[in-house]
Amino acid sequence: MSSPSSVAAPSTAVHASPKPAPRRRRSFGQEVGLCLVVLVLGAILGIYGWHDAPAGRPNTFLSLDNLVDGIATPMSYYAIMAVGLTLVIITGGIDISVGSIMALSALGGAAALQTLPADASAWLVLPVAILTPLVIGLVCGLLNGSLIIGLSLHPFIVTLGTMSIFRGLANVLPPEKTLPAAGKRLPAAFTTDFMRLEWFGQQLMPLVIMLVCVAFGWFYLRLMVAGRETYAIGGNEEAARFSGLRVNRIKLRTYALSGLAAGLAGMVSLGRFGTASTSTGTGYELTVIAAAVVGGASLIGGRGTAIGALLGTLIIALIENGIIILRMAQEYRLIIIGLAIVVAVSLDRLSLYLRARRASR
Amino acid sequence: MSDAFVQFRGITKTFGGVKALTGVSLSIPRGECHGLMGENGAGKSTLGKVLAGIHKPDTGDVVIGGTPHVFGSPREAMDAGVAMVHQELAFCAELSIAENLCMGRYPRRLGGLLLDRPAMQHRAEQLLAAIGISLDVWQPMSALSTAQEQLVQIAAAVGSEPRILIFDEPTSSLSEPEAQALFTLIENLKTRGLTMIYVSHRMPELFRLCDQISVLRDGHYVGTLPKAEMTHDAVVRMMIGRSVAEYFPQHLSASPGDVVLRVRNLASPRKFTGINFEVRAGEIVGFAGLVGAGRSEVAKAIFGLDPRANGEVELAGKPLPLGSIKAAMQGGVGLVPEDRKRQGCVLGMPCRANIGMAMLDRLRRAGLLDYAREKTIATDYFERLRVKAASLDAPVNSLSGGNQQKVVLAKWLARGGRLLIVDEPTRGVDVGAKAAIHALIDDLARQGMAVILISSELPEVINLSTRILVMREGRLAGELSRKDASQDAVLRLMAGVAQAA
Repeated sequence: MSSPSSVAAPSTAVHASPKPAPRRRRSFGQEVGLCLVVLVLGAILGIYGWHDAPAGRPNTFLSLDNLVDGIATPMSYYAIMAVGLTLVIITGGIDISVGSIMALSALGGAAALQTLPADASAWLVLPVAILTPLVIGLVCGLLNGSLIIGLSLHPFIVTLGTMSIFRGLANVLPPEKTLPAAGKRLPAAFTTDFMRLEWFGQQLMPLVIMLVCVAFGWFYLRLMVAGRETYAIGGNEEAARFSGLRVNRIKLRTYALSGLAAGLAGMVSLGRFGTASTSTGTGYELTVIAAAVVGGASLIGGRGTAIGALLGTLIIALIENGIIILRMAQEYRLIIIGLAIVVAVSLDRLSLYLRARRASR
Repeated sequence: MSDAFVQFRGITKTFGGVKALTGVSLSIPRGECHGLMGENGAGKSTLGKVLAGIHKPDTGDVVIGGTPHVFGSPREAMDAGVAMVHQELAFCAELSIAENLCMGRYPRRLGGLLLDRPAMQHRAEQLLAAIGISLDVWQPMSALSTAQEQLVQIAAAVGSEPRILIFDEPTSSLSEPEAQALFTLIENLKTRGLTMIYVSHRMPELFRLCDQISVLRDGHYVGTLPKAEMTHDAVVRMMIGRSVAEYFPQHLSASPGDVVLRVRNLASPRKFTGINFEVRAGEIVGFAGLVGAGRSEVAKAIFGLDPRANGEVELAGKPLPLGSIKAAMQGGVGLVPEDRKRQGCVLGMPCRANIGMAMLDRLRRAGLLDYAREKTIATDYFERLRVKAASLDAPVNSLSGGNQQKVVLAKWLARGGRLLIVDEPTRGVDVGAKAAIHALIDDLARQGMAVILISSELPEVINLSTRILVMREGRLAGELSRKDASQDAVLRLMAGVAQAA
């Protein structure tokens, strides 16, 4: 690259003004609020769980069994996809095909794995088990991205279409509604020995994968140039283009990552349950969008974090778990979660508004 | 004044910490066409919008016919008999003229269930007839020319039977004959006894239409001139507070260097054609012309933003492929775009991220963003350009217009380069920051940068430029050297009356 001669800005002839006073940025303001909500929910449930437990039995909420099996594992699929979707939402887009991509990836992984003997070596099984769903997710994501930038269509429309197409493929392609086919089993090297591997008597693999995924999301958004580009095109696509950012390439990359995350969620689900069905992940997209938005991602674009996506998912998972712990009727579940979403987002916008007002004074 | 019909009393209005109006008081007699004049950002449009209820003043009120008002919404102003013809036309483009004209009070029948289309047509035609025009009222707004759209807007405003009608820069997107037709209409309205406020910075039309002109500068009321005292010089002196030829740019003391940019037969369908010019190192080449003459479009084409542009562009002797921002940036071209908020910066992002945005490729270290270097660079330019902000991490939208523009300039200076195109660099910028930006541009040229300056403010182009190119309707209408570039000469080229005069 030919580097043109640089011209320095003048040091003279500009009007005087006081030197700006340095001030610390509250970069974690958003996450602090979410952590507070998590702590309050946790405290309420913890106290109830302690009170509710029969004498000599552990706290029904604050037991390792409940925290892992009741909260961390079920939320892991959502959280993994919420991180991917948060990237998309930050660019000002949306991806509602993630649930279908998850199903397609899980089924693809199952189809590939059932051809292997049940006692195949881990060296053979794990690459197939990991790569197949991830590649399927990546391809689906790239397709979403190409359609969005190639046809200049709204991401909602494109992913509404592909949501249906991917789900349809998940219905049509596998020979049976559930894989592996009757009489077959997935290799234990993937299911029992990998995804259900026990540490301290708990199956922590989904939790670990989720945390790695969040860590990568944080790294991507906070430390990489790609993350800055993501925020820039979400904040103002035209200004980003005028600054030489390659908007289409950045968008394509973002949708590819969202697809990849959905593929990863498919892999986790497949390994944990040992099966995948045509209905895997149905309706997940709405919970994932809710988690991202509760976690502070703005559907207008330009705002959102990976940690926020994790905390948003955690809040929804705590409410789901709380309904069970508090022995509330399951019929109220949807109402309570719906209310929680609206309240959480309203509070978030209120705090933003108050902060903006304070800043403008 | 005893016969004051409209009286502004001590109006102050602040936007996000920037004072747009400071204690403005002035009176307007009944039945007069009163001009409000001032440079961009002087507060003239804001004052009009306070009267129309669009902006609520922080302090002060408006007395209309003896009754004091503080309007909180356009509806309240309308109820008090104030209507406004806006600069940006606000219509539903897909609805018909009739539907737009009747909006909010649709005639109905069958107990309010159905729209009464014949009644709508009748009312719309009546409204148009009241200002002496006739159009097919069932065609969609999107099928109309800008001038026709504006006529419909005027018809809507007049149809609300206002006592006061405000025009905000009504000729900004009109051609000359269209503007003439508008003036005839306004004179006609004046004979009906309507009180009008005409906001503009174009002197000829103000002189023609207005009985008195009030001048604002930097949010303050400067004074009012009656028709007899309206002279070009008097108004300019009031508007800029000094005579025009006072500023002498430093870069003129050095002779220009090598040719940096050579443009041959640059054209873009329906935008501009046959553009030829050169810019040398250390020169500021001013581009003058009316809005829509194609100046910004030429700038965008050089910067690679116009995929349909064709012609030859050479940068420091090497051909520059058109339609590639990347190639333009690698060749050392920077563009400070005309619309700061939409194209210039990401308003919600911190200043430092905005400053680093055009050089992300150089801040990349193995995929990671070099925060430390970005901070060093941003701090450096913050100090050099004296950007006033709470901190480097303050979002750009918390800054005043002038400081926002400095951030955009800093973005391109940080990247460096050999050609900087600045498009309307001081639009919506207060007087202090404006002087600083002028000095900065001058200094860049003095240090050997080639600069293209596009501006609709004649004093700005005339004072700052080494020479001036005038564009008219997509073509270069002429070139003026610094010594030949009087306001009059430039205006004549802009309007295309050079030969006649």
